[in-house]
This record gives sequence, C-alpha cells and structure tokens, in this order.
Amino acid sequence: MAADASPTPAAAAPPPDDGRVAVNIDGRALRVPRGTLILDAATQAGIHIPIYCAHPKMEPVAVCRMCLVQVEKLPKLQPACATVVSDGMVVTTRSPQVVKEQEGVLEFLLLNHPLDCPVCDRGGECDLQDFTVRYGPPTSRFPITEKVHFNKAVRLSDRIELDQERCILCWRCTRYYEEITGEKELVLQERGVHTLIAPFNDQPLRSEFQGNLPEICPVGALTHIKYRFRARPWDLQRSRSICPECSYGCNINVDARDFEVKRFASRDNPLVDDMWLCDRGRYSFPRWNSTDRIRRPMVGGRGEVAMPATLEEAVAQAARQLAAVRDERGGAAIGVLASAESTNEELWLLQRLAREVLDTPNLDHQLEAFPGLAAEEHELGIAEIEECRAVAVLGPEPERQAPVLTLRLFKAATKRGVAVRRLDTGAGARAAVEAVGGGEGLVGVIADETDRALAADVTARLRAAGATVKRLTVTRGVNGRGAKDMGMLPGLLPGYRAASPAGMSGREILEAAMAGRIAALLTVNAAGLAVEDRDQDLLRRAVARAEVVVALESRPGPVSESATVLIPGHSLMEKLGTVTSSEGRVQRIRAALPPATATPAETRVLSMLAADLGHPGWPAEPTLVQRAIAGAVPAYAEAGNGGRAVFVAVPA
Amino acid sequence: MAEYKLLTKDFGIEGLETLAVYERLGGYQGLRKALRDLTPDEVVAEVKTSAIRGRGGAGFPTGMKWSFLPKGVHPRYLCVNADESEPGCFKDRALIEQNPHQLIEGILIAAYAIQAPIAFIYIRGEYRDQRLILERCVEEARAAGYIGAGVLGSDFSCDVIVHGGAGAYICGEETALLDSLEGLRGQPRLKPPFPAVKGLYGQPTVVNNVETLSNLPHIVMRGGAWYAALGPEKSTGTRVFCCSGHINRPGNYEMLLGTPIRELLEEECGGVWKGRSLKAFQPGGGSMQVLLPEHLDLPLDMDAVTKAGSALGAGAMVFMDETTCLVNVSMRLVDFYHHESCGKCSPCREGTYFQSDLLHRLERGVLTKQELATLADICDNMNGKCFCPLGDTATWFVMSAYQAFREEFEAHCGAGGCPVRMGRRGEVLV
Repeated sequence: MAADASPTPAAAAPPPDDGRVAVNIDGRALRVPRGTLILDAATQAGIHIPIYCAHPKMEPVAVCRMCLVQVEKLPKLQPACATVVSDGMVVTTRSPQVVKEQEGVLEFLLLNHPLDCPVCDRGGECDLQDFTVRYGPPTSRFPITEKVHFNKAVRLSDRIELDQERCILCWRCTRYYEEITGEKELVLQERGVHTLIAPFNDQPLRSEFQGNLPEICPVGALTHIKYRFRARPWDLQRSRSICPECSYGCNINVDARDFEVKRFASRDNPLVDDMWLCDRGRYSFPRWNSTDRIRRPMVGGRGEVAMPATLEEAVAQAARQLAAVRDERGGAAIGVLASAESTNEELWLLQRLAREVLDTPNLDHQLEAFPGLAAEEHELGIAEIEECRAVAVLGPEPERQAPVLTLRLFKAATKRGVAVRRLDTGAGARAAVEAVGGGEGLVGVIADETDRALAADVTARLRAAGATVKRLTVTRGVNGRGAKDMGMLPGLLPGYRAASPAGMSGREILEAAMAGRIAALLTVNAAGLAVEDRDQDLLRRAVARAEVVVALESRPGPVSESATVLIPGHSLMEKLGTVTSSEGRVQRIRAALPPATATPAETRVLSMLAADLGHPGWPAEPTLVQRAIAGAVPAYAEAGNGGRAVFVAVPA
Repeated sequence: MAEYKLLTKDFGIEGLETLAVYERLGGYQGLRKALRDLTPDEVVAEVKTSAIRGRGGAGFPTGMKWSFLPKGVHPRYLCVNADESEPGCFKDRALIEQNPHQLIEGILIAAYAIQAPIAFIYIRGEYRDQRLILERCVEEARAAGYIGAGVLGSDFSCDVIVHGGAGAYICGEETALLDSLEGLRGQPRLKPPFPAVKGLYGQPTVVNNVETLSNLPHIVMRGGAWYAALGPEKSTGTRVFCCSGHINRPGNYEMLLGTPIRELLEEECGGVWKGRSLKAFQPGGGSMQVLLPEHLDLPLDMDAVTKAGSALGAGAMVFMDETTCLVNVSMRLVDFYHHESCGKCSPCREGTYFQSDLLHRLERGVLTKQELATLADICDNMNGKCFCPLGDTATWFVMSAYQAFREEFEAHCGAGGCPVRMGRRGEVLV
C-alpha cells in the first residue's frame, strides 16, 4: 500500500475524514489509515526502523525495545512496533536520544551473545549483525569473561537444533506457535538473564511446520539440521521458484551452491503461503541433488542393445518409430503419458503433439480419472478462505496433500472468525451441510480431488440452502491443476472444452499396452505417474510390452529401462516454466541448478520432434510457449504471471 | 493511641483476626451500610470524594481507576494485590495478619462498587501463613453470609478466591499479576489495553492494593468528605509506613499524611540507633531514589516527596546511618532487581546483569573511573526504555546515590576494597 504524500498537515485545510490520519515521520508528512503502527507508517515512507521482536505476521509484543522512537509531546521513547499513530503525530526515528537508545539496546543484546559469527549459519543474513553494523556501538564495554553461557546445541527434533546462547529472546518462535500454528511446543524457562527458550516438557517438536522457526529467528539460534554448517549466505545463488512438493503453490527461494540445492527458503506471497512453508516441502530439497540421472540420449529398438546417440539422431529415430505406428495402425494405437511433474509449457506442447500430430485421443497425466472434474472446482482462492462465513474441509486429505492449508485455516478461524468445519468424508453430504449451517454468506468447500463427487454434492446442497458456495479442489502433484487446464486429459481439451472422441485414461493406456492394443508410448516424466508400488509394476510391465517407447525422463526408472528412444530431461530445479497451483495461480519456476545433461529443455525437444514429424515452426522456448498458451486459453492470458486462471463456466 | 489512626487502630486487640471480635468492634458495618443505603455508583462517588490514592506505589486515585471500567461490559473482576514484595515493605503483611476482616470487608465493598461477581486475592508465595489466615477468614465470612450468593440478603453476589503466587517480584506489577493469576508465566502485558478495559481473562478488571482496600470500610462508614479532610488536599488520609534500617524501633507506623518525616523518625521510630546520625534514607522502598537528612522536614505527602526527587512509593522507609556505604546498598538493591528481572525486555534483562557486574566490582574496589562512567550510562540506557517499571526503577536508587554521593562512589575506584566499610582507620564499622 503506497502512502499518499500530502502537504504539511498544519498548512493544509482540514481534510475530510477518510479514515486516515496525518503523521509526520522524520520530516516526511504522510497520511495513513487510522490504526496503523508507527513501524508500518515508517516503512511506507521508506524509513527503516530496526526490529527484532516485531514480525509482520504476528501481534506486537514490544519486548526487544530496538524500535523505540521519539514521539513529540511524549516524555518517554515509544516502541514503534506497538504504538498506533494518531492524528498530527510527529515522530523522529534518528534523534540523538533514539540513536543513544539504539546503541544501548544493541550493547545489551550483545552482552551475553557469543562471538561465534564466523561459524554461525546466520552470519551474513543476521539482523543482529546487520543492525549492529548500522546502528550499534563500535565496541563493547562488557568484560567477555562475564558472559552467561548456555547450551549451544539443543536438539529440538530431527529437524531443528537450538543454540540457546545465541538467542536474544525476541519471542518470535513462541509467538509463532501460539499465533500461527496454534501448537505450543516452545516455552520460556527461568527468568532474568538466565531466561531461555526450551521445548515444552523436554518433548521433541512434533509440528509439521518447524522449518519456519529458523527463518523467523532474527539470529542464528534456531537452525535447520539439514543446513547447519553447510553454507554461508553470500555463497548461495538464490532463484525464485515454486515449491515442487505439492500443488498448493508456495513461493520459495531455492538457495544453491556448488550445483547443489542447500535449502528452500520461503518467499512471502500473502495470497498463497503467507510466508510459511511446511516441513515436507521445505526439507524435500535433497532429492533434487541426486546424481542418479539420465545424461545422454539412447536409441535402440526392441531386442537391440541401446546405444548412445546424438540428440538429433534420437529425435529423428523417435519420429520414425512413432510415425510408423501412426501410419500403420492409426493414432489410436499410440498412448501419450505425462505426469503432474511437468510444466504447463511442456504439457501444452505434448497434448498438441498427441492430438494434432500423432492423431491420438489417448493422453493423460494421471493413472486414475477421479470422477466429477469440473472447471469451477477451483473457484475459491486461498486468500479468499479468510473472507468466508464458513469453510467445510472434507476429510483429512486436503490438509495432508497441502499442509500449508492448515495454517491458512487456522488464521481464518482465529483472526477472521471463520467457522472452519473439518468433516468426515464417510458421513456424507447431509452431515456437511448440517455442520456448516444454511443461510447466506460465502461458504468454502475444500476437498481433495478424490472427493470431487462429494464436494459437488455438498456444494449443491449448500446452494439450495441459500449459501454462496465456492470450491477449492486440492489437486495432486505440483502441476496437477495445470495439466488439467492444459488439456492433458483424454476427454478434455485445453480450457475444459470437451474432446471428441474421448480417449483412454492413464491406467487404460497402460492396460491396453499390456494387451497389445497400444503399440507405442510417448512419455514425458512418466515415472511421476506411479506413486504406489503396484502401479510401478504396472508401468514397468506396460512399458516393456509396448513396441515403441519414446521417453523424455530425467531419472532412471521403470520407463527409462525399456525405452526404445530415451532422451534425458531437465529436473524441475533446472528449467524455466510455469506451474499452476490448485487455486489456479499460474506461477513461474526458474532454473536454480545447471542441467545435468547437455540436451536442451523438454520444450525444445518436443518442438524438434514435431518438426521431424512434419510440423515445423512450433515454439521451443518456454516464454514463447507461454504466449501461445495465453492466445489459446483466455484464462491464462488474464492470469499472466502470478495471477489466477479461473474457469468459472465451461464453454460449450 | 493517636486519634487519626484508622487501619491499625485495633491492632493488638486479642482475637481481632476472628470474625466475632471484628464484628464486636463494629466490623462489617461499612459493608452493611453500602449494601443498604448506597448504590454501587454512590460508593464509587464516595471513594472519589475521599480522594484516596492507591497505596501500592504508583499513587493513582482509586475512584478514578474504578471509573475507567467500560459501561455495560460484564463480568468484571476485582484483583487484590497482596504480592507485597518491595524491598523494605511489610505493611500488607501486618494488615493481613492483624486485621484480615477489615481487608475482606474492603474487598466486598469494592466488589459491590464495581459490581464484580468474583474477587481474587493474589498473595505472594512467601506469605504462606498469611494466605492460610486469609483462607480461614474467607471461609468464616462466607459462613456468616458476607461472601457468596446474595451477600447479607441483598441481590449482590460475590465470591472471594485466595490465590498464592510462586515467588516473583514482577507479579506485583498489575498485568504480570493477571498473567500469573491466569496460570501463565508472570510477565507484564503490553499496555494499552489497560486492565480496566481488558484485564483478567480479557474482562474489565480493577487491581487494588491491600492497604487501599482496607481503607474502604472507614470511607463508607464516615463518608468520603470526612476522609478527604484528613491530610493534605491531594494526598488524603493516613498511610502505614514500614520503617526499617538503622533506627531504634523498626516497625509499621500509621501516620496522618502531611506529617513531617522527621516526626516519623524521631517520635515513632525512636531516632537513629547507636546515637549515630542519619546519612540517607529511602522513602518508598527499594525502587525509590535516595533522600538526604535535609529532606527530613518534608511532609509525608506524595506530591511533596515526588517534587524532592523521590517518591513515597509503597511506603517503605529505609533509614541509613553514617556508617552505611551507599555503593554497598546500591549493589544489594541492584542484585535484587537482577534476580527478579523477568527477562521479557532486553534493557532490564541484560542491563541489571551489567549493573550488577559493575557494582560488585566497584564495591570490591577494582573498578576504574571510566567504568564508573559506564555505570551511569548503562542506567541512562535502561531508565525509561524498559517494558515495565521494574527495569526503570532498578536504576533510580543507583543514579540518585551516585549523584548525591559522587565522591564516595569515586573513592571506591581502584581502592582495592570498600573505603567506607573499612573506615579511615582500617577497622570495619558495620
């Protein structure tokens, strides 16, 4: 929110009451909404006030005393983080009194703080370091021998380790548990200078959201065990991306060093993650560092030994093999499989390749076709949950699939008074309607994609009872939503237009391949299809049975083993593109690591394949494909980058 | 027995702590009168007229405190602050031990005035015997119909609950008291909202001191105007002063406000002991600034003492004779605050530790003059910057003593020991 610049309040005529008050900070006059804190007003005016205990997502506590500022007519300095501006207030943030106080507080905070910055994980991105340089005293007057010592490595769980000595007692972690997750796992013990943060009853932390603790800690007290002593912040290459673990669409920074991802850090998007990540997502990064990768194109027919080939040879061979099946047995003998681990651009090109070039209706990105897929099923935005009168969550599966949803529901319930009802899917639609209650107002229905039919039933009943209902369906896989939007489905074209004829679903394609009815498979990241062991087996046997298997895979697996043409792919950490979250938010992923192969990205390989099959001129770069998608799917043109693609009504 | 005495008038009468004796001496008549003749608002008006100010330390007008309660928000609570832990303070203890029913009557009058259905007595953990006395007296009063549903047959109901603290000075701060009472860690809350608006369990709450409440039966019985006529205009009534230190007769003395401090020292306390002269005194407990013999002619008047650079605070008078080392006293007091700091805000948590380190080295005579200047600077960095008054007051005595006895402080620097206590002849005087 931008602050309005206005003339000095005294000189101007009294403005009409617009819910704003005039305040002057360091000589800069601005008008801010009534109830704004001095800290936020100063931030709007571009004035920096150092803070430790204050946190944008938490209520003020004013314990660190770092943000004290001078307010005209008040005898004492006031905490900017907890003082609300009043009309005509004149604030000074750098008066001699404030400067002395800031030096004083920093001296106090450093009194018992260890001097281990050279080995501290936080060194380089530490607020205590940074503010000491900017606001602090040059030297300490306190004898180093008198420092109070604490335990330097308290294992709080298998994910978090606490250095009690570095703690400056800002209380952000205890307040995080109280205000953000609603769990209470960390407490304050002892008092005075011996006060320390400790796990409640010495129990290990069990929260699914512990990974946020080291991030909100202003110093290096709370540390990730998976990142402890691994890197210095200035050595990390930071790339803005999207968490690849589920389809909630949390924004992350991928921090990499030496061709390895060292950590996932949160990147605040108030509309999605509200700066919180779940541990499943945050600590999933090691799998992207695996060196078990496919690095060279391989070509070999059935019964032949696969030989390394150049990309051009491999693509030409793939085109020949696929064209042969298409021309001899018809497009229906070809199955095209992808998974939710591909970007919108890849899926868009792949479904065009299937429909326009290979002439097959058999394409899918999942094994199961959960019934009841409807375009309006992701109408409810994540941030909109807070505006609902009530929210019905059908079963535990939505929160199991997208854990950060739990935090949004908690915020909606505690800070916005939304009636959040978690329901048993077995109890049926009527029970859900009873729990939510009839009547007007916006009601959200959140379901996993396996419960689409139930969600539709609940929605219909609530609408009959007079409510305005919006649905949010939690899709599976990072781009499960995008794959559907892109028409990577047997029965639907991009934008949910009905396809004719409808082809086979993922499982049907594999079963048909086993039965010999499908002769050729074109797969992109199809290893991501099979989550369960028995599906792995089905996939392995189906791929081994098909006469032609053209596979773009980034990792060795059931598909790559028996491919007749194998082309290495880029992992999600190695490419540019967009993925679409459950709520339809189209967000960009960026390359954080150099690719493990010399082969270009999948979009280029797919357009080369199209060209070799007689369709030259397809866009090969992700940004160009994006433009093509925007031209063909209006919702994506509206969404742009970071907006939501919402399909409310299905065009005929 | 002086005529002006109210609270301690009946002290010493055998069996005063029992209901029967208290009633025989006119006890619970104030409550009866309030319930029979006065509406709650009229009780508030009487207390406002009396101009009585809180006896806990801050001296805020009690009637005004009550009137800050938002209209129509119920339930409201009354909390009785019996967490008397100011160094040198022991008046509430005497009031509870010797005349507990006077306090309970006062509590019920206050609860009636603010229409609180429950009153909590928060008594410090160390006062175990006193807590048992109160618990017994509450049961006695309950059996007699003063506490419970329909007090004395009226439609006013009130329950009184005695709750023992766990031993923390900070829990005498009213919002920390509320947190502790709620079962939380005893630490002050961010204000605003003030307890009158959002206090115990988020409801409007009044927190009053034991001595303040003990005055209420007298104010109701004899009228606010009568009380207002006692003592100076803005510092009305009597106060119990806890006198300790180097005096002949330490103890609790109830004084009419406005009386010169010298009268308290010379006549009630019997003067400075061992024929020595007075070096300094602290008029309001461990928190307050030091005063000098020249201030003995000040009246016992909250505003007059505040004007002289100190405060009457909780009414604890600590007198120090000529042999006292002010550095030593500062050190002991700062150690107290260092021990009692709750750890919530950084200036108090770390500052008291730094102060304590410097003063210990100063008292041992191993501090440099430069470090002595650091001490003053540390105090300045704490004073007015802490979350609650604890951290601020930790600096007041040290700063005032350093100003008034600068030479003595400086004489400690590099002296290799305490020059005052060793004396000029090298012998230990104290």
